[in-house]
Amino acid sequence: MRKALVPAVFVTLVIVAVQLTVLSTLRLDGVVIMLVWLWPLAMGLTGFTSLALVTALVAGIFFDTHAATPFGLTAAVAVVIAYGASRLGREGVGDLDSAAWWMTPLLAAAGGLCAPALYVFAGFFAFNFGLWRGSVLAMMIVNACAFFVLSRPLTRLAMAISSMGERPRR
Amino acid sequence: MERSRRRAWTLAAAVTTLLVVLYLTGGVLSGLRSTANLVVEPFSWTVNEVARPVGHLLAGAINYSDVVAQNQKLRYELGRAETQVNESSSMQRQLQQLTMDLDVPFVGSMSTVAAQVTTNSPTNFAATVDISKGGDDGVLVGMPVVANGGLVGRIISTTPHGSTVRLITDVKSVIGVTYTSGQSSILISGRGVNNGLGATAISLTTSISPGTLFATDGLNGGLYPPGLPVAKVAKVTLTPGAATYNLTLIPTADLRHLAYVDVVLWEPST
Repeated sequence: MRKALVPAVFVTLVIVAVQLTVLSTLRLDGVVIMLVWLWPLAMGLTGFTSLALVTALVAGIFFDTHAATPFGLTAAVAVVIAYGASRLGREGVGDLDSAAWWMTPLLAAAGGLCAPALYVFAGFFAFNFGLWRGSVLAMMIVNACAFFVLSRPLTRLAMAISSMGERPRR
Repeated sequence: MERSRRRAWTLAAAVTTLLVVLYLTGGVLSGLRSTANLVVEPFSWTVNEVARPVGHLLAGAINYSDVVAQNQKLRYELGRAETQVNESSSMQRQLQQLTMDLDVPFVGSMSTVAAQVTTNSPTNFAATVDISKGGDDGVLVGMPVVANGGLVGRIISTTPHGSTVRLITDVKSVIGVTYTSGQSSILISGRGVNNGLGATAISLTTSISPGTLFATDGLNGGLYPPGLPVAKVAKVTLTPGAATYNLTLIPTADLRHLAYVDVVLWEPST
């Protein structure tokens, strides 16, 4: 894991920068595509739980420092997504090389569908009860579609980075 | 396997505790934000420098005819606006004199600071923009921000060289407004990034129809000075059996295309 940590954090910071500079402007139907959630999911699917959690934390925290939303909420959702994906990844579900081609995009789409709802739910614990008043359904659908499309290249990148460390225990 | 799982859970618990502590301690949070900004800044700058020309090239190629048409329309509107400015200057002086006599603050006479919109909100859950002027330029938390024909929002945080503006469409925005005669005030609130504004429980006796313009009421202790145009009524809904209206409102300012804004140097009275 240690060998992969530095490149993983580096790529994560680039992903956060892309999220902040490009995707905040390039909206689909007014919705921001949350690459900072997809990236930990892709890392999780490689099966490296610790690496995925670190990635989720870095992506979430750095994103949260730029958003006017409750601090830590994006990070918390990213950690949950990364952990869930890593459990699947350790079982070999969503493996790009052995599973069906649509399996990874499908899992990513499910993640994109759940993440905004999870965020709204997590908002209650931060005493923020107004998050559901946005276009949550549109966010879920747009993110699910975007995650479906972007998941394979990002998971391929995640695999390349994580393979710098040791193999995951299956 | 068991050990790894325990380690993961411990890490998750530690992270959650850390987040809660950071959330509850504003001081640490502020420092953390500044540090994180410093770390991400070089990456953002690099990505921006690479992505911006590519984005402009693609957008220009795809939308060229729209851009030309928009440019012609803007020239026409600019000409009309200049004419109106010339016509209304004497009326404005008169109104200013009258409002001074009545001891009511008038926005036209207030100082403003022009600022460029630097970034849009990076998240779907908060309608905010960052602007290029901050504490060093006299911008303070709570000051109203106007542009493109109406109220845009208010300052919620500042740094020496930048500020964050919460837009009026944000779910946390609540604005006291008045309409037509200026005798009745109601509260309108944001409905989220893409959903405009709304008001509920409006008495059936009020004479509100689509197109009615709402402006800030400027009541004592209010968050905004009086007379700033906020929104127009788009739809009046009457739920069967209910004794009140619900209103759907469109902001008078075009919040989707904010490039420059004016910060009104006015502080809410406490």
